[in-house]
Amino acid sequence: MSQANTVILDNEAVQALIDPSHRKHRRLLAAVEAVAARNLRHAGSVRLLVPTTVRVEACWDRQARGSAAINQLRVGDVALDSAAADLATRARTALGVSVADSHIAAVLGTVPGPHAVVTSDAEDIRRIAGMVGVLPTIVNV
Amino acid sequence: MHILVDLLNASVEDTVGTSVRLPTNLRDAAVVAVDMGFAASTTELTVRGLQDALEAFAQRAALDAHYEDHPHARPNLAEIAQMTAEIDGNPLADRPELIRRAAAEIWSVKADATPDDVLIYAAGLAAATAKGAG
Repeated sequence: MSQANTVILDNEAVQALIDPSHRKHRRLLAAVEAVAARNLRHAGSVRLLVPTTVRVEACWDRQARGSAAINQLRVGDVALDSAAADLATRARTALGVSVADSHIAAVLGTVPGPHAVVTSDAEDIRRIAGMVGVLPTIVNV
Repeated sequence: MHILVDLLNASVEDTVGTSVRLPTNLRDAAVVAVDMGFAASTTELTVRGLQDALEAFAQRAALDAHYEDHPHARPNLAEIAQMTAEIDGNPLADRPELIRRAAAEIWSVKADATPDDVLIYAAGLAAATAKGAG
């Protein structure tokens, strides 16, 4: 066991976080609280990230009026640059997963771990993590 | 809080020279860290440390602001400790009853307990339970 330093949100995790009426909203806030507690004690020790294609899938527009509060929770975007797009494409081709999940694969393959992924689809995350050769902790939404 | 967040989100277009008094040992350690290749410069190290600390303050402030509008959404210490265990892959994640007990009891010895404190306490409870059973 090692402390995660990168926590990645998938589509349903984002949906639960951005919607206060979502039944898992409180659970997602617990994830943000867990990160916040670590960072208050050791600044910069844990990053909370969302791949930008996951944000698209979850319809999280940072410019939208209703997003103001959630934007302040310091969830960082991970963009799909050229190299990451190639890695994501390989994951999508090999496994037939969604574009957003392929982007999560690219993040797992390029951002330093240990990783945790907050997800509603543990099986797909295990498959894509295996493809890029990492072993993230899976946290069910 | 909004001003803090807006400033953190702003693009870095301008820099400003500032006089910051650093403890000598920290300055010298920063020089060594740069020599070891951990950072490009002592300035980068200083900026990174300041940015990380401010990000942590902003995240805490954003959560507290959210709870003002949605007080029912605030997770309790046991829930946060449980999530911390799940994020780390801590075996205690499979012992939620132990984490709840630890969160309830730790207040008597540490009023400002963190989720990590709860997990340490819960690990002690687990060890004591195992010893008692053995």
